[in-house]
Amino acid sequence: MATAPKAKAVREDLLRVEGLTKIYDGAVKAVDNISLTVTTGEIFALLGGSGCGKSTLLRMLAGFETPTQGKIYLAGEDITHLPPYKRPINMMFQSYALFPHLSVWENIAFGLKRDGMPKNDINDRVESLLGLVQLTKLAKRKPHQLSGGQQQRVALARSLAKRPQLLLLDEPLGALDKKLRESTQLELVNIIEEVGVTCVLVTHDQEEAMTMASRIAVMSEGSFMQVGSPDEVYEMPNSRHVADFIGNVNIFDGVVEVDEPDHVTVRCEECVHYVGHGISGNTGMSVSVALRPEKILLSKNKPQGEFNKGKPQGEFNWCEGEVIEIVYFGAHTTYHLKLASGLVIKAQELNSTRDLSCGLTWGDRAYAHWSDLAMVVLTQ
Amino acid sequence: MNKIFSKSWMIAVYVFLYMPIITLVVFSFNDSQLVTVWSHASIRWYHVLVHDRELISAVALSLRIAFLSALLSVFFGTFTAFALNRYKRFRGRTLLSSMASTPLVMPDVIVGLSLLLMLVSMQQWWGFPERGLLTILLGHALLGTAYATVVVTSRLREMDGKLDEAAMDLGCQPFQVFKLVTLPLLAPALVSAFLLTFTLSFDDVVLSSFLSGPGYSTLPMVVFSRARLGLNPTINAVATVTITVVSIAVIVSSFYQSRAERKRKLEVAQAYSDSNQ
Ligand SMILES: Nc1ncnc2c1ncn2[C@@H]1O[C@H](COP(=O)(O)OP(=O)(O)O)[C@@H](O)[C@H]1O
Ligand SMILES: [Mg+2]
Repeated sequence: MATAPKAKAVREDLLRVEGLTKIYDGAVKAVDNISLTVTTGEIFALLGGSGCGKSTLLRMLAGFETPTQGKIYLAGEDITHLPPYKRPINMMFQSYALFPHLSVWENIAFGLKRDGMPKNDINDRVESLLGLVQLTKLAKRKPHQLSGGQQQRVALARSLAKRPQLLLLDEPLGALDKKLRESTQLELVNIIEEVGVTCVLVTHDQEEAMTMASRIAVMSEGSFMQVGSPDEVYEMPNSRHVADFIGNVNIFDGVVEVDEPDHVTVRCEECVHYVGHGISGNTGMSVSVALRPEKILLSKNKPQGEFNKGKPQGEFNWCEGEVIEIVYFGAHTTYHLKLASGLVIKAQELNSTRDLSCGLTWGDRAYAHWSDLAMVVLTQ
Repeated sequence: MNKIFSKSWMIAVYVFLYMPIITLVVFSFNDSQLVTVWSHASIRWYHVLVHDRELISAVALSLRIAFLSALLSVFFGTFTAFALNRYKRFRGRTLLSSMASTPLVMPDVIVGLSLLLMLVSMQQWWGFPERGLLTILLGHALLGTAYATVVVTSRLREMDGKLDEAAMDLGCQPFQVFKLVTLPLLAPALVSAFLLTFTLSFDDVVLSSFLSGPGYSTLPMVVFSRARLGLNPTINAVATVTITVVSIAVIVSSFYQSRAERKRKLEVAQAYSDSNQ
């Protein structure tokens, strides 16, 4: 799902934010002491639920909000107090904010005219942008004569017109329907990479962030919970919150029983987890074990695994439960398994043949097992 | 049964509303000196009207005042609406917003009287301003500003604030934002505010009566004073002319509006069928 970040010969910091804080009305802390750097050519996503402060952070970068504290540097220059019309930054707005009284062509040319660019150059630039977003034929239309997807492309072309050093995207696909969104995500990334502009992107949709971004910051209540590549935040979440927010996850609470450099075991009410790597913790500590549904295998038969002198053999990480729900998605099926402790876990099975491969149905007893490298031990 | 009742009710209402106007128009073509007795059709009173100096100059004065006061009202109304819409919190905002709309609900007599008292004392102290065109204009602009503020505010409220930000983001200084984005989008509201305040001023009789001086009679004032002396069919003629002009303006503007709306709907539908292919 994740696109690998493009390797660039020279990578330098384009945007640097230091201790940025925004307090509204002296009370609401919308952004709380955030620091980050974005390197040239990167697509950086701010991901979080509604009201976590993503838009506020983006608006401070654009210059629409004045930070209560902190500094913003662009290419080494302090732009914290520069007004929006003087920043070499452009933004694509959430609902596009196209000028309704101007045609597509005039919308795209708007910023160039303000810069006093010669007419011929404006023509060339607008024509090439129209080509880039495949709207050449619709240049004379007004925004209300365009469909949602077309408006989105006009907005993109307009924000790219001035060749900004940094492009800000606020929920760029939020107004499109699901089917269109998926095809547009990749199209958008292709255009951005073709132009080679550095991006900061705001979204509440984790799939969108994973598909488009080279790095993701997971936000909650105005702070960053974790910053990393899409596979890092998915496979190695650093907290329950991140694990929960990105994708589905089963959480087991337990205590560390054995703590060795190459493995640990965590005793939970439901089972004992044998984890095939060390953790930064110690024996007796309370931890959570996060396990993604797609990493669980289901079977009708009891797994034949055991710990032999502390060494695991066969399928040793397992638990037993009753199938209480089956949700068919086409490509895969999700089974909800109720364990003896009352915990309900989800297991996602690939439908690799046309008959549902594990042959389980409602009310069946089933065994779930997973590998020693399937889970993440969360200490917070 | 119910249907018949509601239909006849509707007809009754329309007759009630339009009968006087129709009578007025019909009797403007009456040859008789008496307003209520029909003799035979003629355009006699229109001849009289054309040669009636007092009426003609009253129409000219009314038009001048209406035009100027509409301009002033739209100008001040726009700025008030902006202040109220843009700055959500400043000292005295509630006071300003309620003061801006007070003239809408205050009886005209009270507004006229208080303006008159103010002008009288100003004249005592400074000998200025003489009552006449300027003072009528002032009164009408005051009332008109309140109406224009309401019209422009409602348009501003539904305008997307993000457009201002988008313009700034693309390099507009605040003044350019106003000139290139806000003003063009506001234009329809400004036009309708202008028309509203124009007609408001054109048919005002209360404020004008309080504020005018000798030699400055607006059309409604002349009509009113003549009506008290005994009706004269010239008034019918002048009213018919006014009604005709106003109706033509209303019909033309609504025709254009509905055509633009239909065209717009058609284009939107077109855009969607294009993108689905
Ligand atoms: N102009 C504002 N005035 C007061 N509070 C605001 C304003 N804008 C946003 N907030 C508050 O700041 C918090 C973060 O908002 P926002 O950045 O829009 O979140 P997100 O974009 O992640 O949904 C919210 O609690 C919101 O209510
Ligand atoms: Mg938001």
